[in-house]
Amino acid sequence: MIKDITIGQYFIGDSFMHKLDARMKIILTMVFIVAIFLCKSFPALGLMVLFTIALVLISGVPMKMVLKSLKPIAIIVLFTSVLNIFYVRGGTELVSWRFIHIGTNGIFTALFMAVRIICLVVVSSLLTYTTTPTMLTDALEKLLSPLKLVKVPVATLAMMMTLALRFIPTLIDEIDRITNAQKARGADLDNGGFIKRAKALIPIIVPLFVSSIRRAYELADAMDCRCYTGGNGRTRMKQMKLMPRDFISAAVTALFVAGIIVLNHFFKAVIVR
Amino acid sequence: MPIISAKNITHLYNKGTPSEAVALKDVSIDINKGELVGIIGHTGSGKSTLVQHFNALLKPDSGTVTVDGVDIWSSKRAAHDARFKVGLCFQYPEYQLFEETVYKDISFGPGNMGLPGDEIDRRVRRAAEYVGLQSDLLDKSPFDLSGGEKRRAAIAGVIAMEPEALILDEPTAGLDPAGRDRVLEMIRNYRERTGSAVLLVSHSMEDVARLADKVLVMNNAGVEMFGTVDEVYSHAQRLRDIGLNIPQISKIMYILSSKGYDFGSAYTVERALELITGKAGVRE
Repeated sequence: MIKDITIGQYFIGDSFMHKLDARMKIILTMVFIVAIFLCKSFPALGLMVLFTIALVLISGVPMKMVLKSLKPIAIIVLFTSVLNIFYVRGGTELVSWRFIHIGTNGIFTALFMAVRIICLVVVSSLLTYTTTPTMLTDALEKLLSPLKLVKVPVATLAMMMTLALRFIPTLIDEIDRITNAQKARGADLDNGGFIKRAKALIPIIVPLFVSSIRRAYELADAMDCRCYTGGNGRTRMKQMKLMPRDFISAAVTALFVAGIIVLNHFFKAVIVR
Repeated sequence: MPIISAKNITHLYNKGTPSEAVALKDVSIDINKGELVGIIGHTGSGKSTLVQHFNALLKPDSGTVTVDGVDIWSSKRAAHDARFKVGLCFQYPEYQLFEETVYKDISFGPGNMGLPGDEIDRRVRRAAEYVGLQSDLLDKSPFDLSGGEKRRAAIAGVIAMEPEALILDEPTAGLDPAGRDRVLEMIRNYRERTGSAVLLVSHSMEDVARLADKVLVMNNAGVEMFGTVDEVYSHAQRLRDIGLNIPQISKIMYILSSKGYDFGSAYTVERALELITGKAGVRE
């Protein structure tokens, strides 16, 4: 059951997007997210949806998997949309009954919000689908390196992230092992009410903590033995290098943002925010 | 009647995915009451998968497992009972300890069986005695014990369920020689005093030779051999072919006989000493 959880959810592939430099991907994703919130007119929104679909197609990630990543946020999308319908006043009044007023502005805002959140989630999950967790942490370390000037231990933070990701599968195996051992002693994990089930987890959580702490000490010793003295000044086996394709992607994204701004300028904004 | 009986069980890992692998292929075996069976085989031969079928932790994809005459997958109740009738102690069992005191930890199994308090108390004390834990250790935290003591406390946690068959997966792994001898001695005592069947999964051919009545050799997800120690160990060449090795002392006896000093074959140092001193007519 635990094995079904996919963390980092990397989708193995060899697409144009997989090959892009992870730093560029992070920056472009952020630019895209800003662009999402610039959209104020219908043509701009349409352009954004088309661009998002194009990105999914380029990534080679099956549409089914992308939609799966939307499942957990369905409730949030619904909730914000419904709230917007009732809260945003103005436009042509459609319904007016006692304290309930629904106007076109409310409906447009709700629609924009829903589309924006969906695009945001799709694009950011494309980032994790096409980038391995290690590449992501390496890229983050590089991007955050200016913070070193203000004494933020960026390299150490990146190492912590790498280690945390590295130990997820190990811990999942450990949980399986301990669960089996306690089941062999008759532990009942699947029946009973909430409190009973929560209590039934104690025989699993305590050994898990004990062994995690032991592992942490062992790892610290092993790193010590290999002369790890903090991350500063470490070199990488895989050097990150910007290639022509990274600049092409940046240019295309810039065009896209320009397109949004132009469309906003020429067409009527239908929402205030 | 056998206490555990497996009929044509097959088990697949990651069924229906590209990484599907056969873990057990058409395995049939009967374990009789009170028998001590050694299970050997190289890593990945299916030993651990097999024993997890005996107490209903794993469900076979085909075939049946009966414990004490009951098909353990015939009802929820039967699967539940199998957990207690067949006690399974995993490799490195000390990592399952979790309670505040050793006493409480050993009582976890009997407590799950729903036994009355005085019966639990009796079982905990008896299990502790079997594994040679002094009663003053019972009130200590399990995390304050030494490595060997932790191991024995964890084994006591399984023994306290008083199973009709006890399965120990590599109970001596990672112990020093003294700790190893204590655990093996404990297994022998336990078996003599309770008459319970014991299955010992081990990499040590010598330990198995010393303790077991029968040996089960696993290879490539199937049963390679199953018979008495003498029967199985006489196929030295075949054992070597499947990545196992006969005990050192057996090799020495074999070399001696090929050089013209034939004392017979032995699998333990003690037996070899008996044979050599007996035949040569010398004592110490």
